[in-house]
Amino acid sequence: MGELAARIVSFRNDRLAGLVRFAGLFALAFVVFAIVLLAFGKNPLRAYADIFSNTLGSAYGFSEVLVKMIPLVLTAVAVAVPSRIWLINVGGEGQLFIGAMFATWGALNFSTLPIWTLLPLISALGFLGGGLWAAISGILRAKGLVSETISTLLLNYVAILLVNFLVFGPWKDPESANYPQTAPFVEAATLPAFGGTRVHMGVVFAIAALILFYFVISRTRWGLEMRAIGGNAEAARRNGIPITKYIVLLMFIGGGVAGLAGMSEVSAVQGMLRPSLSPGYGFAGFLISWMAGGNPLGIVAAAFLLAIVTAGGDILQMAHKIPGAVVHILMALILFVVLARGSRRTGGK
Amino acid sequence: MRIKISSIELKLLAILASLALVLGISLPEANAQPKLKVGILHIGSVTDAGYNQAHAEGAQVMKKNLPNVEVISVENVPEGADAERVMENMAKQGAKLIIPASFGYLDPALKVAKKYPDVKFVHPGGYKRAPNLGTYWASTPEAFYLMGIAAGRTTKTNKMGYVVALPISFFLGNINAFHLGVQSVNPKAETRVVFTGTFLDPGKEATAANALLDQGVDVLGVIVDSPITVVQAAEKRGAYSIGYHYIGAQKFAPKGWISGIAFTWGELYTRFAMQVMDGTWKSEALLGNLASDYLTIAPFSSAVPADAVKLVNAAKQDFISGKKHVFAGPIKDNKGVERVKAGEVWPLENLGKMGWLVEGVIGQPN
Amino acid sequence: MIGSFLAGLLAGSIHAGTPLLYATLGEAVEERAGIINLGLEGVMLMGAVVGFITTVQTGSAAVGVLAAALAGGLFNMIFGFLVITRRANQLASGLALMFCGVGLSALLGASYIGSRIHGLNEIRIPFLSGLPVIGPTFFNYDILVYLVVPISVFIWWVFFRTRWGLSLRAVGENPTAAFAAGKNPHRLQYQALFIAGILGGIAGAHLSLALAKTWAEWMTAGRGFIAVALVIFSKWHPLRAIAGALLFGGAISLQLQLQARGVPVSSFLLDMLPYILSLAVLAAWGGRRRHAAPASLGRVFQGTE
Repeated sequence: MGELAARIVSFRNDRLAGLVRFAGLFALAFVVFAIVLLAFGKNPLRAYADIFSNTLGSAYGFSEVLVKMIPLVLTAVAVAVPSRIWLINVGGEGQLFIGAMFATWGALNFSTLPIWTLLPLISALGFLGGGLWAAISGILRAKGLVSETISTLLLNYVAILLVNFLVFGPWKDPESANYPQTAPFVEAATLPAFGGTRVHMGVVFAIAALILFYFVISRTRWGLEMRAIGGNAEAARRNGIPITKYIVLLMFIGGGVAGLAGMSEVSAVQGMLRPSLSPGYGFAGFLISWMAGGNPLGIVAAAFLLAIVTAGGDILQMAHKIPGAVVHILMALILFVVLARGSRRTGGK
Repeated sequence: MRIKISSIELKLLAILASLALVLGISLPEANAQPKLKVGILHIGSVTDAGYNQAHAEGAQVMKKNLPNVEVISVENVPEGADAERVMENMAKQGAKLIIPASFGYLDPALKVAKKYPDVKFVHPGGYKRAPNLGTYWASTPEAFYLMGIAAGRTTKTNKMGYVVALPISFFLGNINAFHLGVQSVNPKAETRVVFTGTFLDPGKEATAANALLDQGVDVLGVIVDSPITVVQAAEKRGAYSIGYHYIGAQKFAPKGWISGIAFTWGELYTRFAMQVMDGTWKSEALLGNLASDYLTIAPFSSAVPADAVKLVNAAKQDFISGKKHVFAGPIKDNKGVERVKAGEVWPLENLGKMGWLVEGVIGQPN
Repeated sequence: MIGSFLAGLLAGSIHAGTPLLYATLGEAVEERAGIINLGLEGVMLMGAVVGFITTVQTGSAAVGVLAAALAGGLFNMIFGFLVITRRANQLASGLALMFCGVGLSALLGASYIGSRIHGLNEIRIPFLSGLPVIGPTFFNYDILVYLVVPISVFIWWVFFRTRWGLSLRAVGENPTAAFAAGKNPHRLQYQALFIAGILGGIAGAHLSLALAKTWAEWMTAGRGFIAVALVIFSKWHPLRAIAGALLFGGAISLQLQLQARGVPVSSFLLDMLPYILSLAVLAAWGGRRRHAAPASLGRVFQGTE
């Protein structure tokens, strides 16, 4: 009995220790950034106060952080799912674009359907598009031909170019001054938002993805098999676990989630397909999943942090006249600090 | 519970924190209450010697003219949700006039305008309006026509080239106007267009410029965010060049410079601000022309023959007085389709619908 | 007609391919040592901006190139510290390096945009440059273009004919075994990263000092990532990288050349070719051991590193 209690206590302490360590790391990054601000002759305290009030200090600010978090959480899950069996998915960007592309095709060609049919349709298309794109890499890896790290990386560019081709050519809106964008989505194809905010139904996707991810990994037989593969692939195979099937399946699912991110961006946020669909959400998702060790709660925390930094960048420029490039430096600093302190493997258990 | 923070790290952290605290509190902050806050969003960086810088400098001139105006500016704002968020932030900060300075900001701006009816928006190059969102642009085709006259008279090979970002209607209209101007003095000349596919990529622009020069082009024009690369490429190979956006581009081509078109938004922005301050602003689709003070033609260099300059000035007067129209029919496009009938005119307000290139222009509007 | 087209295309490929080749060589050196650097983009940008600033200040493009090389090497040391000493995840560290490079270069270069430099000028070789077709196509470039092929050969020679290269490749295959054999894997990897940084810095300098002769934020526009793909395409071999760089550079310049000639072409579909080709080549050679990545690198891809 005492042993069990001791186990629980030490487990909780480890978790707490981990959290404190993480908090310390972020604090260090923010202190370093404060020094950078000082070097510019800016007031770091006021800057941080403004960032805080702009992001967490108001309902509007908080809602904007949520809006930013939606694609980040989705692309992070897209990386976390395959990482359970040590697959490295750096193709979130491409999968996002293809998902958006499939969703756009649906929105443009079925625009007369009612919202109850059209929205689920294009959501499914988004998932399918991203999933298929990632499955290509999955199959190449399952057959032992090409590492998925490389193929997902290369396919990113192909995906972006494909969307560019469509948007500059066959899908270009004839009403928009020849500008490379599709016609705007109809009402029925637009993911609705809550209240007066811009937080849209994509948040449902994000939460569902997180919950399903956690549930499947820890509570189902499939999760058990995945953990077995992740622990010792050879032993798992000898025990009859179909590794190749899992490789393709997990890549498909991961890509599908990224595809949902693309679908929600194009439907709820942009309202049309454009080359500037994503400012690098796919890569950000990789970093988030990695920082979080593939852990669902960690993903939320890291996405939260990244969303605050990005939103904070606006107020830094507006109120403090700090050049926009500095936000990139802050992100890099946070990452450096996390990277330098620990060698955490992608995935975790 | 063992958390490993060494005592050295702890001390360092403490020192840094207190330093930040002390310095933070001691630094003063400005405190004046401006009468009008103006927000401006840029798609790129304001030091690009091109599109963004022109807008930023306009805002600076406005600020100089009206000392009680404060400018809130944000660079590198991607189109879409980020643009909306930034504009809302500006509105929340008390901005009463917002300038979303990029074509792709139109839809985000319309969304924010609906939410904040008491904030006025002015969008450059837009084609949709709202009660509190007006558009403005300087109609450039006439200016490009003038450039065409000068170029047509200065060229030795009768081959012109244009490096252009994207085949959007406004740019196509500019190229068409340029070519029509060239043809009016030099019927044999041709114009070739290469699209780089992006608003700013100096590597591609250099390659495109060289590809055109390889074809024997000896007058190179440019429509991308920053004219520097193309103008320099022309200068290096002894070709003539025509600048765009940034009036200072001439220094990059001391020998080959013909002229250039620049936007000088300062006085216009000043007028906008004054109108907002005294309540007389109303939403309109403002389209400037050669007579406006926000469209400037750079001085001609000595390479341009004197009679060409005379022709240019005459044409300029005719445009301003309305005697002359750029797109006066008959005009065929480069696939042979008639676009403007004889006796008719394609009005400049409809530039947004121009999806074709004029006969004699070698290129693909895709 | 065809002749001048090919000549123009080749010239364009060489011009556009040179920075790609330098970057690819740098990445190849790193990856041979078992380290993949996704942040090459950031290294190139630092080289481009430092080279440009130095040239503006000193008036000499040669000094600019040297400064760019040094800046690239030093910048890559940050990456080295993270992945070698702290054994951090290489992919994440690379992306972090990229962000840092983008932001830092934008900051440093902000006040230099619009500055005018003379840059690296073409060098005319007395007799050869005057030859009818061959002259302008092969002998009308700046010094960095002329040097890139000899440097590629030099790196090939270092990899496969020197003890240092052998040790490097050993580290790339199996650092533990190399260590047991008396090599110092960490030191070798740091050296490799420094060299890679130098090459990446030079690649950036070529963009800002020779090709475009200007500085703009993020002017590498993804070329650093293309280089990572190129290394894979050329199977980590410096000589094959030359062909790869020509191909990729050719793809960039081909569609612009075709446009200038009035040929209807979709630039995007053409641009896709290099990536699809890379994938196809890799898939075709996939199972064969001879064409596999350095084993240690492979472990990064397996996620066990």
